[in-house]
This record gives sequence, C-alpha cells and structure tokens, in this order.
Amino acid sequence: MEAPTSEPAGNANGTGNTQNLTVPVMQKNTNGSVPAPTSTISNGISADEIALYDRQIRLWGLKAQESIRNANILLITMKALANEIAKNLVLAGINSLTLCDHSPVLPSDVTSQFFLPSDRSPVGTNRAIAASTNIQRLNPRVSINIDTLDIRLKPPSYFSAFDIIIATDLDAPTLNLINTATRLNNRIFYAAGSHGMYGFLFSDLIEHDFIISRSISNVPTVVGPESPTRSIISSSPDPNDPKVENVTKRELFSTWLLASSSPLPAEILKSPRRKKVVTPILSCLRGLWEFESQFGIRPNPNDKAQLAQFTILCGEQHKALGLPAETLRSETLRAFLQNIGGEVSPVAAVLGGQLAQDVINVLGRTQQPIQNFVVFDGERSEAGVYALHPTEGELGRGLLPISGGQQQQQQQQQQQQMGSEEVIDLD
Amino acid sequence: MSSDPEFDGVSPLTEAKKSRVLMVGAGGIGCELLKNLVLTGFGETHIVDLDTIDLSNLNRQFLFRQEHIKKSKALVATEAAQKFNPNVKIVPYHANIKDPQFNIEWFSSFRIVFNALDNLEARRHVNKMCLAANVPLIESGTTGFNGQVQVIKKGVTACYDCTAKETPKSFPVCTIRSTPSQPIHCIVWGKSYLLNEIFGTSEDESAFDHTTDADNAKEIEELKRESEALRSIRQSVGTPEFSEALFQKVFNTDIVRLRSMEDMWKSRKPPEPLDYKVLMEKASNLDKEAVVEDQQKVWTLEENLIVFNDSLDRLSKRVMESKAAGQDAVITFDKDDEDTLDFVAASANIRSTLFGIDRKSKFDIKQMAGNIIPAIATTNAIVAGLCVLEAFKVLKGQYSQAKEIFLTPFATQRLLGSDKAREPNPACPVCSSFQIRSLVDFSKATLNDFVEDFVKEELGYGEKEFAISTEVGIIYDPDETDNLEKKLSELGIKSDSFLTITDEDDELVNVVVALSESKEPLEDKPVKGIFSSEKKIEIPAKPKQPATETNGAASDSPPLVVSLTKPTDGVTPAKRSHPDSEEGIAKKVKTIAAGADEEGDIVIVDDAPLDAGGSSSEGAIVIDD
Repeated sequence: MEAPTSEPAGNANGTGNTQNLTVPVMQKNTNGSVPAPTSTISNGISADEIALYDRQIRLWGLKAQESIRNANILLITMKALANEIAKNLVLAGINSLTLCDHSPVLPSDVTSQFFLPSDRSPVGTNRAIAASTNIQRLNPRVSINIDTLDIRLKPPSYFSAFDIIIATDLDAPTLNLINTATRLNNRIFYAAGSHGMYGFLFSDLIEHDFIISRSISNVPTVVGPESPTRSIISSSPDPNDPKVENVTKRELFSTWLLASSSPLPAEILKSPRRKKVVTPILSCLRGLWEFESQFGIRPNPNDKAQLAQFTILCGEQHKALGLPAETLRSETLRAFLQNIGGEVSPVAAVLGGQLAQDVINVLGRTQQPIQNFVVFDGERSEAGVYALHPTEGELGRGLLPISGGQQQQQQQQQQQQMGSEEVIDLD
Repeated sequence: MSSDPEFDGVSPLTEAKKSRVLMVGAGGIGCELLKNLVLTGFGETHIVDLDTIDLSNLNRQFLFRQEHIKKSKALVATEAAQKFNPNVKIVPYHANIKDPQFNIEWFSSFRIVFNALDNLEARRHVNKMCLAANVPLIESGTTGFNGQVQVIKKGVTACYDCTAKETPKSFPVCTIRSTPSQPIHCIVWGKSYLLNEIFGTSEDESAFDHTTDADNAKEIEELKRESEALRSIRQSVGTPEFSEALFQKVFNTDIVRLRSMEDMWKSRKPPEPLDYKVLMEKASNLDKEAVVEDQQKVWTLEENLIVFNDSLDRLSKRVMESKAAGQDAVITFDKDDEDTLDFVAASANIRSTLFGIDRKSKFDIKQMAGNIIPAIATTNAIVAGLCVLEAFKVLKGQYSQAKEIFLTPFATQRLLGSDKAREPNPACPVCSSFQIRSLVDFSKATLNDFVEDFVKEELGYGEKEFAISTEVGIIYDPDETDNLEKKLSELGIKSDSFLTITDEDDELVNVVVALSESKEPLEDKPVKGIFSSEKKIEIPAKPKQPATETNGAASDSPPLVVSLTKPTDGVTPAKRSHPDSEEGIAKKVKTIAAGADEEGDIVIVDDAPLDAGGSSSEGAIVIDD
C-alpha cells in the first residue's frame, strides 16, 4: 500500500503542463484516503488559457473560468454517461478530475464508451484506468486522478477532498450512502443514471447562493422568498451600470433520501392539467429504486415474479405521487423495463451535457441551477425539472441534523447488508 | 450492456446499422454528432468540411488536439472517431459542400443528412439540395447556452427557409462616418473604413447601408473628399511621418471639420479633436509590450495611442516587404491577425474617446469585429444528442413524432422545449415550389427542347403561358423567345443547375427543375423527366389563401427564433406553453381508458408471456382489473 502523493498537474502559474501527457495514477489505494487535490492557484489566467478557452470565456466570463479552474471533482462509475460528463468538464478546464471505478471493462462497454483505448482490448482492465489516458489527452492542463477502490468502502472523510461529487449509474442505496457522506462534509453532490432511452439527474447543492445581473425593473426587488426553495438574499445596483442590479439568490436543497421519496411540488399537485403531463418515467425510476432497495438487484425482465413485483412498485409510486392512473401505460412500463441498464450514446450525451453544464453554472454562481430533479425521456425528447422536497421541516443546511442521523442509520444497515451478501449488481 | 430498445416493431438501432448518412460540418456540433453516430452504429457516415482546426476550437471540438492545429477537420475527425467503433465506415471530404461533386444524385444516396454548420449560406444550400433529392434533413444550431434541432422533410415539415432568417446587420454610412453613438459604430469604422482605406482595396461596402444617403447628400460629398485625402496619406506608408500624419488627419482635421457642422450637434455632444504631439508626450513613458499584451484591460487613451502606433508600424512593415518582393500589398481585416486587430481596436477606442463613447477591451472588440459567437462543449453535446434522437424517428418513419426542439437554459420547469414540427409554409420561396428532376443531354439540348418536350409535353403545360428563369434571371417567357434556339450549355446552364418555371396565369405553383447530365446520349428527345412513378405528373395549384393569413394561423405556436447570428447569452427564452396540450393528452387517455380501472392499480395478467426483446404488442404488462 502506497500513500499517493501526486500533485494535481494544473501547476501554480496556471500555464499548465502542456507537454505532460502522463496520468498521475493513484497507486492501488486501499485505505480509501486520497490526497487532497487542492492547490493554490494564482488568480490570473494566462494569455494561453484565454486563447484556448476564448469561446467559453466570452460566454461566462473570466471570473467563472477561474472558479472552474480551481474545481476538484470526483466522478464515480466510468460508463457512457460518465464519459460524457468527464469530456465536458475536462474540456471546460477544471483543476482536477478523479475517476473512481472498481469494475473491469466488460465487452459491452467497448462499443458504448469512447474513451476506451482502441489499440488493444481494454476488456478486463479497470474501467477508470482504461479511460484515463484518453481523458487526459483532451486537456493536458487538467489533472486526472484514478481511484480503483469500491466507492461504498470509502469513509465519509474521503469526500472532503473534492468540491463536487458526481455519482453515476449506481443503485439507490449507494447514492444515499454517498450523499450522506457529502452532506457530512458540506460538499456538492450530483447523481445521474441512464437507462437506454431514459435517464435522470439529481442535485444536492445543500445551500447555493448565486448572483443574477438583471435590468432594474419598475417593480422594486424585494428581499424574501420567491419559491418554496429559493429566496432573494440581497440586491444592489451594479457599480458599472446604473441600469443593472445584482441580485443575490439562495436555493435550498434536500438529500437524495428525502428527495427520492418526496411529493411533487404543490403547484403541480393542485393542477389536474399539470399532473397529467408529469412524465410516468418518474414513477418507473422510483419503482426501480424501491426494487433495488428491497431486493438488492435490478428487475430481470425474464423473471415473471420480479416483473410482477416491479410493476406493482411502479404503480404504487405513481399513485403515491398523486398522478392519474391513466398516465402510467403498460407500453411505458414495458419500454422502461427493456431499457434498464442500457446505454444509448445520444441519451448519455444529452444527460451528460446537462449535468456538466449545471456543474459549470454552479461553479460560476451567476445562473439559476437545476432544482433538483430532471427526468429525461429520449423517446419524446423531454427533460422535465421537478423540485422534490419534503413538505415539512427545514431545507438546506437546516435539514442536516435530522436526516444525518437517519441516513447514518441507513448507511450502517447498508454496509451490513453488503458485508453479508453480494447482491448489488452495478452492471 | 448495450441495449437495443425496440418500439413499434422497428428498432432504430438496427435501422441505423443499415444506414448511410451524411454529416455536413465537422466542428462544434459535428464532433459530438460524429461520436454519437459512430457509437450508435450508423453503418456509413460521410463527412464534408472545408475548414481546418484552430486553437480556439479545442475547448469544445473534442476530437481535435493541439497537434492537429491547421489540419483538416473532416480528416482528423474521421481518424479520431474511427477508433470508437471499427465496425462502421467513415468517409471524409476536405471540401466545400457547394462543390459540383456533391450533386443532387450524390445527396439522394443518403438515408439522412445532418447539418452541423455555422453559417446561413451553407445551411440554405444543403436545405435546397435535400429538398431536391427528397432526403430528410436534420438541421441544428447552437449559440452560447442556446440550441435547437429541426427535422426537415420535403412536403411534410417546414424547410429551413420557411421562416425568414435574420440577415447580418449593416449601419447607415453617416452613423459610422459622422455620428457614432455606440462602440460598435467606431469598431466598424476602424475595420471597414480606416483599415481598408489605408491597407485594403477600398471601403468595405457590405457594412454600410446607403438607403438614406439622399437625405445627407452634402455630408456624403464631404465624406468622399475626406476619403480621397486619406488615400494620399496612404502614399506615405513606411515613412517616419506616417503615423502622425494619419492620426492628425482622422482624429483632428476631420473632427474639426465635423464639429463645424453645427446642425449635426444640436441634439448630440460634438466630438473633441485630439492632438498627436500633446497625447504622445503623455504616452511616452508607457511600456509598449505590457500594454499590447493585456487583452482584457480597457486601455486608456494614451495606451491606445501606443497600440495605434505599434500596430501601424507592424502593418507598414508588412506592406513594404510585400512591395519589395513585388507582391500585392493589400491587408484586410482578420480577427486572428493580431496586427489588424490591434489597429482596429486602438483606432476604434481613440475615436470612441473623442465622441464620448465607452472604450472596450481588445478581447471584446475582437468579438464584435470578428462576429464571434460564444460556443461551449455542453450545448453542442446536448444538441448533437437530440439530432440522433430525432434521426431515430426519421428511421422509423415517424414524422408525426418529429419535433422542433430547443434548449431552455435556466428555465425552472424543463431543460428542453419543443414544438410540433411545423407544416411547410405555402408561401416559402424554397419549398413551396414543385421540385422535379430531369435528365439532359447537354451536347445538343436547346432551350426549345426544354420548352417543347419537357415543359409543354411532359409536364403538361400545353398552351399555358409560362416563364423560365435561372438563378440569374429570366431566359424565356412568351415575349422573350430569342434564346429558344440556343443550347442550354450556351446559356450557362450545366449539370446540377436549377431552372424555375413560373405560371404566367398565377394558377400553378412554381416548378423547380434540377437538371442532371444524362449518362448516355438521348437520341429522340434530349431532355427527359425523372419521375418516381408512372403516374402523370400533376403540378399543384397555388394555395388559395394569401400568405399573410397562413402566417397568422401559425402564430398560435410561434416558431422558435434562436438567433444564430447574434449571441444571446444569459437571455432566458420567454415562457412557452407546454408542448403537451390538453387535446394531446385527451387523445392518449382515450386510447388506454378502456384498460384502466378507477383505482389505477396495475397488475400482471397471469399467463401473458413476456418477451423482453420481442416486438409483440401483446406483451406481459397490461393494465387491467
């Protein structure tokens, strides 16, 4: 066991190791500790970087680019969706990306993941290692780290080394486990999964402040709540333009555990018309998570008993969401079931693009972030956003003490379960 | 695990494997699209792109790296993407899509065409070719956080030109030359007037709008005289007095004259002339290198003078070197040519200062002068993904499901918006016409052959009166018969030209005929139609309702106009009605209502077999009580 000591490659003067194509691989690190990939980067962005990032700096500005360049991000499970996320974040120029995956490359990965090497068969090698060389080549300025240990065996402190943790293609209990740890460390958490033509995104930013620059309206800006989750904290005139005001807003978030069982927002529930257009894929996803939590596996479409159970769970979830029965059609259920665990490149591209863009927006702090759940339906090209939060109790940081206890309990149960039987099949 | 989702009995992934598709453009959207096409397993993808790779592409065009700069986008993209999937064929062309080799016949050999372009002209061309070849086109575009995708199928959905597109902005001459009020006015002055007068061929006319010239006849005369005086200063390029002479002319003499036009300054603040020597004294201790390097800083007036002089020195040196080598000494603006950019930035800022307009950083001026559209990897990735999802519908023949999809960045209820694909606009100048193809033996076919054998006989115009025009103008109408005996080739008409037939009685729609060279000599009749069926061709009548009415009816679901020429960063599109109207839902409800009980419980019918991979619609999951 070797304590990893690699420094992030993004070096202090900000000009980057443009010639350095080597990947700082974390040696078989079994204690779960990772060097804090934090580094003190001087604020000035070099002329070389401005030339490289020209087209995006023109969109989000130099200050946002600096925040992006200082970000250290953990990305878990290197499948098609994570490939897309990695590509977008590395191109944008973050400081470091740590790829965490303990699984080997399967034959089916080869045709759905574009970072795998082509000159030799990667099948059987570790998935994070296999993808890392080509990810590094996208942008030599970004430090790429590798962690081949099972994420479920990490202590909560592991997550403190990262600004943002993105967990992809994992089952519900594992997402809950990771989110509990990110909460304990006050770190931003994203979850995402793709199932063939369908997929979802979830974010727990805990409490996120951002500043919107807008033209001063005739109606004065009032400090206070704007929605159940968002409030205006302050507003002030822009020092450079008297017609513009800078409004600081705050969004409050919930944990995965609470959000994945919370009702739809009241504004949807009180409108029969809006309830009808809530995608039934949400019920299917919740049915799947419930199935995973209860049985530790994904439903096998060829097993009649599992199928029956899955169908019942989806129906229950649909009903619990208060949605009309007729919007969960048998065709939808059948299509969803056939898609579970599948990877379709354009769907991964849409989801990975949306998630990476939200990460960039959150780092830049000048745009409204996703709040807090997106369901993507590639059959219909729809991506509805649903704010899913418990109706009682505080959100944001205030939610921490209560759910923290609950979640730790859950986490212990989960670890016991994993110790006793090998039931979780991530693939 | 790769899945092969199968719906309605047709698997789009299986169809994709059999498909030969064309992708026009291998840039921002193209790189992402090619990756998706290759990973999805599209059997054969042809790529056309004229462009080479630039440093500023690398933040989003992920198939390209530092070592590829200056190489062909089409070739490098092919090499990179081939590694993702060795089982598919990729054919690159480092060429212009308007080249004659890419004719209608070639277009018609593809199952789907994808546009991944960045300019109006090429988009229009591909749109026209796809309509002529009757190949479905998936059109897409991005700018900043915004993006959109549209399926175009002849006769089924609206084409690219069914809605008017924004044209590049031009400015009245007097605004640029005499009364600027915004930084862009001074930038256009520096780029299209000053740089061109001193180093180019002449004034860049496309930037100017002459429509109001008559109102300012006197001032226009004065401006002409000023330009002539400037050209005489041009003769002193390379001499030590050059910079000062030019500065005094445009920032002092011309400004003093302009100030004297009292009428002009009644409601405006008059410009303040500058003196070269006075300013130069203040600027003498500045560090030239440090100033020029800082692109983000808004330079002071003195700093701008330093850059003005420095860039003039560099440009003059180039002119002298070209002249010495006996070469053309013309320099035109290029945003990536630092010398021209520095000159335009400094001149624009100095002019802005004397008119009391805010100065801009070189970074910002580059964007305005070079019409740079901000572009990011994520938007391109999302749009390219949506292109392929729409392609699945095309492969399944489900045009009724095809939508116009657009990104709705920062909206709180959905990340994507969509409109049902619009119907073709009956007044569209491009697709409302009847498209037809003909084979021509150009060695002997005359216009008379075309008129008699093809139009009158084959198309059945008979004794109707009609006109025939090329893109240049009318070549035949009942009063214009001089060309009849000429060969088509003598009239400049060759293979892959288009001829438009207009009904003089205004009853039939216009007919656009695409001419192709016949492979064999046509003995009896040198012009022949290519018709897909044996049925007699019937030219449709013009729609009765006037075009304006149609537009009014369509305004219930206004078409998205995401500007592809102007950055709209940070602008959230106006709220839109949800794509699922009550009506649409009602229909869906009806189809399943029979099987759903009041409680909405869903159970499995006991003995129904489940075939996960099968296409049977009598699958296991049914809603029943």
